[in-house]
Amino acid sequence: MVRPHKLPFWSWPSEFRQNGIMGINSRNINLIFPFNPRPIYALCDNKALTKKLCESQHIPAPQTYALIQRFGDIKKSKGLLLDLPGFVIKPTRGAGGRGVLAIANRNGKGFKNTKGELFSLEQIKYHISTILSGLYSLSGHPDQAMVEKLIKPHPAFKGLTVAGTPDIRIVIYKTTPIMSMLRLPTEASQGRANLHQGAAGVGIDLETGTTYGGVLRDRVFDVHPDTGAPLGGVTIPMWKDVLKIATQLSRAIGLQYVGVDVLLDAEDGPLILEANARPGLSIQIANRCGLWQKLNKINLKQGIS
Amino acid sequence: MINRNRAAILIALILIVAGALCAWLRIKYTLKPAGSQGGRAWRLTYDINLSSTREGKIRIALPDNTPYSHIYRETFSHQGIWVDLLRNKRTQGREASVVSMAGYQRGRFLAHFDIQLKPDQKSKLPPVKEKMTANDRAYYLRTEKYMQINTPGLANILDLLANEQMTKTELLTRIFDYCAENIIKGEKKLFSDAEKTFEHGIGNTLGRARAMVALCRLSKIPARVVAGFILENTQEAQVHHWVEAFSQKKWFSYDPENGYSAQLPITFLPITRDSIDIVRGPDTLGYQPRYSIKRLLASTSSVSSRESRLWNIVDLTRLTPSMQEIVSLILLLPLAALITTIFRNIIGIQTFGTFTPSLIALSFIHADWRTGALVLFIVLAVGILVRLLLNKLQLLMVARLSIILTLAVLCMVLAVSVLDYLNLTPSASAVLLPIVILTMMIERFNIIAEEDGLPNALKIFVTTILVSVCCFLVMKVEMVGRLALIFPEVQLFNVAILLMIGRYSGYRLSEIWRFRDITQIPLK
Repeated sequence: MVRPHKLPFWSWPSEFRQNGIMGINSRNINLIFPFNPRPIYALCDNKALTKKLCESQHIPAPQTYALIQRFGDIKKSKGLLLDLPGFVIKPTRGAGGRGVLAIANRNGKGFKNTKGELFSLEQIKYHISTILSGLYSLSGHPDQAMVEKLIKPHPAFKGLTVAGTPDIRIVIYKTTPIMSMLRLPTEASQGRANLHQGAAGVGIDLETGTTYGGVLRDRVFDVHPDTGAPLGGVTIPMWKDVLKIATQLSRAIGLQYVGVDVLLDAEDGPLILEANARPGLSIQIANRCGLWQKLNKINLKQGIS
Repeated sequence: MINRNRAAILIALILIVAGALCAWLRIKYTLKPAGSQGGRAWRLTYDINLSSTREGKIRIALPDNTPYSHIYRETFSHQGIWVDLLRNKRTQGREASVVSMAGYQRGRFLAHFDIQLKPDQKSKLPPVKEKMTANDRAYYLRTEKYMQINTPGLANILDLLANEQMTKTELLTRIFDYCAENIIKGEKKLFSDAEKTFEHGIGNTLGRARAMVALCRLSKIPARVVAGFILENTQEAQVHHWVEAFSQKKWFSYDPENGYSAQLPITFLPITRDSIDIVRGPDTLGYQPRYSIKRLLASTSSVSSRESRLWNIVDLTRLTPSMQEIVSLILLLPLAALITTIFRNIIGIQTFGTFTPSLIALSFIHADWRTGALVLFIVLAVGILVRLLLNKLQLLMVARLSIILTLAVLCMVLAVSVLDYLNLTPSASAVLLPIVILTMMIERFNIIAEEDGLPNALKIFVTTILVSVCCFLVMKVEMVGRLALIFPEVQLFNVAILLMIGRYSGYRLSEIWRFRDITQIPLK
């Protein structure tokens, strides 16, 4: 792996404070407790509810083919699945991309997922039943399965797309986007766009929509770990629309400090993936900038010191 | 809007002041030196060395609370032996059952008992009421190897002492008088059986006690020899023997050697009523008991009074030693939670579950840490193995967890059985707590392993064990448990500290490491 920078071994907390870097304790005490009412979490944690909200507010989101709530519905879904060219099955309450099955196309033998593995109809029905029984929901409670339209990654991310679909995380404070990053799945993250699991993150300039910086496993990084393509200098297409739908969702959902994940589809453009009531802090490393710097600017504008 | 930080500090301050006030009141009113209240405190020490590695079990009789004495502290330490505390089936006296561990050349059992004599107007032991079954009665009337009843000499003496109009009580007094006056005090090394003592009219302490018991039993008065100590400052305490005789539904105490009739001074501390020896077992084990008694001038936790005052409820030192042990362990749990909180919120180390480290530490204290470590290893190995084998089957979590539990239990029971086969008998009860807690941890382990990969799960596993070890080391310090028991109000300080941590919005130590790259490479 290439590490173009000489990385530091140590930084002092005083330097953090100067740069406005936010720690977990500070995020919880100063933002999440006062600004994010607990009952709203249910809206974020359940993707089906988030999507319902999007539909009612006319915020674009991946088209839902079906919501499978009961075991009895699995049989009925057969006809639907056979009609669809490509689709994604995911648990509504799954976390970190667990239990997501993305089917790219179908041939005479069966369904092929995006990695090229073959699945029979029976296997897919079994997968749905494990979702319903709660295998992928954290608490082990019974869950529901969503069948969605398959996202085609935008060609702008060519060279950065490995094993999964990149998404865009936008952190919004009081309906103003304050920081964003492009999240790129890697081999190590097994196709999931989750930094915690080893995905790469790249900062995005909010004004221009162009990427810069980069983070991998909490360290500064400039190239994609699998393809070697430079992370910086990529301009996100339809950037203004991306920011617009993220802001719309933050307004609709009622959280004052929220991380919104947006997908960029080659055909449909920006689509809402989900909202997160406790957005992570690695975005600061990706942007090489502390969150408090941005937050304080907004507080100043609004007259809160 | 209220300022939450200020409110938290205020509540914390109030708690600290309240806690300090409680502690001050406690020191002022309840913790007085033992001597100053007329109560007397003594330390009895057992130091028993085993010099053989042969198979066998010895039993050590231990002092217990009595209506007039109270063990307010006891400590046990032992090497090379397994120790189980239990109660004698007949007399309900406390005993330690000791088995030598394989692989040790010698063993040692060291115990301290700090005993408080309850101050009382009468400085004499009152008789003890007890119910007696027909079985017990027959038992306390039987003839024994060294307390021979069916000898002609004994019948003659009884004929001399008894007449038909006499009540049992009067007869008992005459028997005592006879043994105290007509049997001369002999050397310690002298024979000690009842028959020879009567024959020669001379006897040592044990001989005279046995002689009196034999006479009582022949007169159909249930009687037994008591082995115990007379509390006095001594480096080499000798086991003293006296007699208890059952009359009018009460056990009356007699000491023919010192001439105490029906009542004894309260410095007589009974240890066992089932044997003349404190330590019993095959001689081949080569055990050498030594006892010493020391008067304690002042005690930090004395029983202030026999009266049951309401505020005694907050004086936990009045509980029995075994209960104190459990209560102080429970009181240490919040401390372990505090340590875990510091690790998670200030240092920034992840653990499985919030209280798992505290519970692991607790279970390791309850068992010994070796048993705990063994269980930990087995449960972890089984957990990972089952995960690898059953992952393909995609079982539901609860079912999968139950399979892990079942297999871990099977392995544990097998391990216990193997250890027993090798004569390394561990106490099976010590296994119970760790296995339940650790199986719960395996559940968390598997969730993390599934979500973030096995390396991450192993990392958190290591940090969980690290935090558990810290909790364990703190909980193990005897002084800490003692303080928690004497001053339950320290829990208020605990809450105060937790309040402060709960509003701590500074960086975690781990974040200083995590974000170290941001400041050094300015991009814009």
